[in-house]
Amino acid sequence: MAHIDRTEMIAVARHRSDIYGLLAVLYRQEPTRDLLKRVRGPQFLEVMSQWGGELDDDFMTRPEDALLEEMAVEYTRLFLGPGKHVSPHESVHHEREDGQWGQLWGASTVEVRKFIEGTGLRYETKYRGLPDHIGVELEFLEALTRREEEAWEQDDEEGVRRCLDVERRFLDEHLFRWVAPFCDKVIAAAELSFYRSLASVTKRFIEFDRQECLRAES
Amino acid sequence: MQKITRRDLIKLGVASGVVLATGGIFKGNALAGSIKLAAGNKDFSPKTGVERKMIPSACWSCVTRDSMIGFVEDGRLVKLEGQLDSIRGLGKLCSKGAAGINQLYDPGRILYPMKRAGKRGEGKWKRISWDDALTELTGRLKKLRDEGHPEKFMFHYGRMKGSSSKIVKSAFLSTYGTKTIGNHTSICEVSKWTGQELTWGKHYDNWDFDNTKFVLNFGSGCLESHTNSIPLLQRLVAAMVERNVKCVTFDVRLSNTAARSTEWVPIRPGTDGAVALAMCKEIMDAGLYDKEFFKFIKATPNPNASTDEKVAALKKHLAPYTPEWAEKISNVPAAKIKSLALEFAKTKPACVINYRGTAAHYNGTENERVIQMLAAITGNIDNPGGRCRGVGAKWKYPKGPKKKPKGKKLKILDGFPGTVAYPTHHVSHQVLKMIKDGKAGRPEVYMWYCYTPVYANGDCQENIDIMKDESLIPYSVCVNAYYDESAALADMILPNPSYLEWWDWEDMVSPTQVPEYYIRQPFVKPLGESRDFKDVVCDLAERMGFPLGFKSAEEFVRMSCEKTPGVKEAGGFEYMKKQGVWHDPKAKPKYFEYKKEVKGEDLKKEGVIFDEATGVYWNSKKSKKPDAGYTKAKNAYKGYVGQKIGDKVYKGFKPDKVNKSGYFELYSELLKIKGKQPLPNFVPIPEHEKMGAGDLILTTYKVPVQIHSRSANCKWLTEMYHDNPAKINPKTAKGLGIKTGDKIKVKSKVREITTTAEVTEGIIPGIVAISHHLGHWEYGRYASGKKSPMATDNDSGLKEKWWKTYGVHPNWIIPNSPDPISGQNRYMDTVCKVTKA
Repeated sequence: MAHIDRTEMIAVARHRSDIYGLLAVLYRQEPTRDLLKRVRGPQFLEVMSQWGGELDDDFMTRPEDALLEEMAVEYTRLFLGPGKHVSPHESVHHEREDGQWGQLWGASTVEVRKFIEGTGLRYETKYRGLPDHIGVELEFLEALTRREEEAWEQDDEEGVRRCLDVERRFLDEHLFRWVAPFCDKVIAAAELSFYRSLASVTKRFIEFDRQECLRAES
Repeated sequence: MQKITRRDLIKLGVASGVVLATGGIFKGNALAGSIKLAAGNKDFSPKTGVERKMIPSACWSCVTRDSMIGFVEDGRLVKLEGQLDSIRGLGKLCSKGAAGINQLYDPGRILYPMKRAGKRGEGKWKRISWDDALTELTGRLKKLRDEGHPEKFMFHYGRMKGSSSKIVKSAFLSTYGTKTIGNHTSICEVSKWTGQELTWGKHYDNWDFDNTKFVLNFGSGCLESHTNSIPLLQRLVAAMVERNVKCVTFDVRLSNTAARSTEWVPIRPGTDGAVALAMCKEIMDAGLYDKEFFKFIKATPNPNASTDEKVAALKKHLAPYTPEWAEKISNVPAAKIKSLALEFAKTKPACVINYRGTAAHYNGTENERVIQMLAAITGNIDNPGGRCRGVGAKWKYPKGPKKKPKGKKLKILDGFPGTVAYPTHHVSHQVLKMIKDGKAGRPEVYMWYCYTPVYANGDCQENIDIMKDESLIPYSVCVNAYYDESAALADMILPNPSYLEWWDWEDMVSPTQVPEYYIRQPFVKPLGESRDFKDVVCDLAERMGFPLGFKSAEEFVRMSCEKTPGVKEAGGFEYMKKQGVWHDPKAKPKYFEYKKEVKGEDLKKEGVIFDEATGVYWNSKKSKKPDAGYTKAKNAYKGYVGQKIGDKVYKGFKPDKVNKSGYFELYSELLKIKGKQPLPNFVPIPEHEKMGAGDLILTTYKVPVQIHSRSANCKWLTEMYHDNPAKINPKTAKGLGIKTGDKIKVKSKVREITTTAEVTEGIIPGIVAISHHLGHWEYGRYASGKKSPMATDNDSGLKEKWWKTYGVHPNWIIPNSPDPISGQNRYMDTVCKVTKA
């Protein structure tokens, strides 16, 4: 890591953390009015399109109240049900050799929780969801990259190395293993262009970020 | 779609940041807390996925007593690992610690009180109730006490530390009135302790690897087996790997430590002192000594000698000890001695370390003094990066009944009269001999605890013969969880639990010079009817009419936590149960304590007098005959206040066990009184001086995956290490016509054993090396292939046991023979002959 520009790496870690943070928010709940206002802003839309997230005109032109309602319905239909939906949990999508997948609270759920708690973090008592919700996994990477940013700032080489190692391991063992099939299912099932775009940006970002981790580590 | 670049990442990041910075977008996080970058201390069942119950506790496999975490699932202990919050262990645990589970669930465990049914040693037993066992024992003990002979109850322990020691010795035995209490230090490293007591006071040297720049090692296997193993070895590794610190190891054997050192310097057994003396000479002659530290050194009889006088005296003393002289004795090239001496003196700070390779010899105490001298003249004493006086936790604890009788003791603890000059930690390997001799009396009840007198001392056959003889030892009680060679010779066995089922507080030395307080708590309830011996003595005391003031070890530990400053404020017992460890985060490491001045008012306290001969201020009330002067008055050291140097009085190097002054004593009046040379010197080993043709020296050692004599029952460890062929150098082997795999006989003046040869360059010519740990003839299926009489039937692990060797024990041929200063048993000195069997 000797020739890496530290100032740049501080910024990169912060940006990655912000991206993970925003994705986590978008998957964990239906958007609030404030959030919707922001993502409908020109800056965000332009970046989305660069990352392959094309949004319909509808998204831009619908009255705010109506869109907010539609998005809440879409979020529920896509991720919560009732009926056929795309469960946003790793244990459902992460195809394991031991066959322990395709169910809620599966083997991957246990591993994710163990992994996350092994780093010293704990689940909020108020959090009622399952340990391997995509929102949690993204939030975990948000926290890890935030910690990496700190390590860069403190010029703590060992800390940076460890952060990158944990990030890469978590991506390799968990998020990267299931994010593509999950996003593909969302893309196929989504009726609103927003969730279709979100899924395709998510997929591309995770693929890119895994490469970033590998590059930084070597 | 275009290729994504880092630019795109930054753009997306900026946009995300802007959105995230908006208020009102989110309903709260799922995760809390902060990220610790080392993983661990959580565990989940691979079967059910349920989180296992985590309990912090402390190991007890070896004396290091690492803090650890255990995981319990469905009431069963399933895993042990290091405690991340410990400043000593930093989350690490060794294989012996992890294999503690085998100790807990050993299928050969003794779960009920047992009474001998046949002849002693015949192996016939009957189960008795605890009440019957304690009624019988109380009857015998109370009778001795009532008759005015409590000393005829001898209690002999192998390991008792922390609160165990306070409950059993300080509270129970002292209220009972016996001082016939034996230990095991003389078969361990007592020559180090006595050597330190004669130089810098209270024993235990901590090696400050975190801050050192050079490590000079005389015969310590600190990367594989040390009394503070895990805390130290990882720090030495870190120093070498992360800071490129050089470590040079003198050893007769290519130990793991020697192999991992920057350089291995082969050396003849028992000659380290000669090399270190020559190094001291080189350093003094080159003027590389630390003039400032000389102020605190005593190098002449005169306590007021100037630094110049001291330097001159030392130079004169060292004049004959040239590197060329040392080369003849040690086989270490003179040029190597010179260059290492200069490198050691010029690198600041540097740390000289040593252990059994220098200690378990006839000249063990002198070797310690010489090595202390090497550290002292270079100023590497009690400094960051040097050889420091150990710092451990200072617990406050209940002392038991206030009214205690004046204790009595049988004079069988310190070896035969006149054989040992300063037996400051007793001479335990002579106890059985002295019982046989009988001139100093014999105990009527001999009880031992966490000790295996038959196996751990030298000359096993003699031990067996004495222990078996009812005319010499009329009644014997073994406190043990396992049926070992000594338990087999008891009249009664009280089933102790394993250490994973009991309470303690602990205080082992910290490598950081900041004390760490920690506790041991049970992971599970004691199996069967086993009872913690500490709880048993509370019961015995009640039965004999002197309750101790606490009813159990748990209560004692709780009371200690509520009394001990720091621990108490952190939350006392409840905090310790939850966290396991505590240290003061604001505490500064303890260095240079000797430089502190004594307050004027402390010198004016009643009873404090000045001793002209030594320059010591001491409280004469601590001795019954203060007129004899500080050096000769009994127990005067207990009244030590400070050392006058020039016109100031310093805390200096506070004495312990002996009436040493507050100087760092290179010149020892105490040794002179006993007819020994007062300045550190080289004493040749008498038997090595008269070796005949074909004689070899037997050396012994330990491996990383077994503890000395109490771990061969652990199947995980014994799977890794279950054979110990005798190592012989190819040159020596060739002369004897021996090849690897040959059956050989190794014969000493005591006895003969048969073992297998392993010809290796990893050992110097002229010696034969046999490890400890193995060759058990009891101790269960994994240690000896023989199930204990109390054992359960075949356990599932037995099907996986693929090895059929149990090794050979070297102690059969090693005599019990003390170093004349400390009483150290000489495990590295035995002269023997090796022949093809």
